[in-house]
Amino acid sequence: MIALLRRYRELILVSVLLLVPLAVFFAHARRPSERSRLDRAVIWLTTPVERAVGWTVTGSLSAWRSYVALRNAHEQAMAMSQEVNALRLERQQLLAERGEAERLRRLLSFAEQAPERTYLGARVIGVKLGPTGLQLLTVDRGSDQGVARMMPVVVADGVVGRVHAVTGSTADVLVLSDRNSSIGVRVERTRARANVRGLGKPDSCRLDYALRAEDMIEGDLLVTSGTDGVFPRGVPVGRVTQLHRSAHGLFLDARVKPAVDVTHVEEVMVVTAWERPTDALPAALGPGAAGP
Amino acid sequence: MKALAHVLVALGLVALQAAVLTWVGGGAFSVAVAACCVVWFGLNEGNVDGSVSAAGTGYVLDLVTGAPKGLHTFLCVLLFVATRAVAAAVDVRGRGPFALLSGLGALLLSVGAMLLTRYTSSPDVAPGALLLPRMLVEAAATAAASPLVWTLLRRVDLLFDREEPGLLR
Repeated sequence: MIALLRRYRELILVSVLLLVPLAVFFAHARRPSERSRLDRAVIWLTTPVERAVGWTVTGSLSAWRSYVALRNAHEQAMAMSQEVNALRLERQQLLAERGEAERLRRLLSFAEQAPERTYLGARVIGVKLGPTGLQLLTVDRGSDQGVARMMPVVVADGVVGRVHAVTGSTADVLVLSDRNSSIGVRVERTRARANVRGLGKPDSCRLDYALRAEDMIEGDLLVTSGTDGVFPRGVPVGRVTQLHRSAHGLFLDARVKPAVDVTHVEEVMVVTAWERPTDALPAALGPGAAGP
Repeated sequence: MKALAHVLVALGLVALQAAVLTWVGGGAFSVAVAACCVVWFGLNEGNVDGSVSAAGTGYVLDLVTGAPKGLHTFLCVLLFVATRAVAAAVDVRGRGPFALLSGLGALLLSVGAMLLTRYTSSPDVAPGALLLPRMLVEAAATAAASPLVWTLLRRVDLLFDREEPGLLR
């Protein structure tokens, strides 16, 4: 028997090493049990090895990623910085174009509100103080495009001024805040008449010839009256501010805040033709329409 | 002593594999370096030393992977026996055939573990054939990594080789 065991000892050992684990597996697979002392001892012995290997590998790879792999990071950062600068510039350009598109859309919308008027779009290409002290905007449209002196110049917010001088390809616009500018206006709420005269300051004008007895309050919107023969009716000019009703005299004392900030205008529209106020009264109010 | 050294080397390789795979691949694939070790034992060790080393490797694998007791121990000894059978039929030398056998060994371990676990698990959670592509990837990765294990174990075995004094010494 012993001789038989010796003869087949390898086969027996291998068979035991095969069958015992299989039996253990089937015994424990369905009912997981606690680890034995041997298991815990082996784990206690092997854990430091695992930990040391893991620490070494993790440390090495971490060092690689933190230092060695970053050797080209400076060049990459420089390239990305350049790209960011280029993208920022491109973004600024796109924002500027979007702002321009928005302004043009508002101008177009404004032009469509009064189809009886003919507009000519123009871009402000210069701002200057004329030799005689005139505040002028130079636009890139001139007589070649049909621009003539005294034509009104407007934007969607209101009046900018009128054409003062014309060349073939450009025109100078006298802004409404200039001292030499005077525009006939009405209070939109009460239809009271007055004049808006420039003071030489872009943010303030003076209200002239507003009768003291007129119903007028601060904040009233002033629109062009059309009586000066220059501007069409109904275009906003500004709002009444600093209204002072003195105890004597014929007229009110007030300031006007222009509807358009002429220092920020970039695109304008020259009104080349518009409806002129007719002298004839409507038929219902004519001489032959007197009631019984 | 040699079997203990083999088990320690296998343990180190398994730990190394776990640490490396944490960084590389992010768990997308795995490598069965233990299969390479067992194939090495089957090709180069005797029945006793090799089977003990294989059983020890499987036992350590069970402990570190949290697998059911005896699963990898049985499969590693089975792979050892299979490798002995292959080695008895054909002459396996060099890294190329070793890589092929390692890949097949990894596949045997994976498929065996799947079948045994499937047999003992409830049908809801039992692993299925969906894992097969992953097993094939693991087998290929194991075959690719096996030359490193081959070199390492060869050096370890050289430490235990005792040169017999010849007539000229």
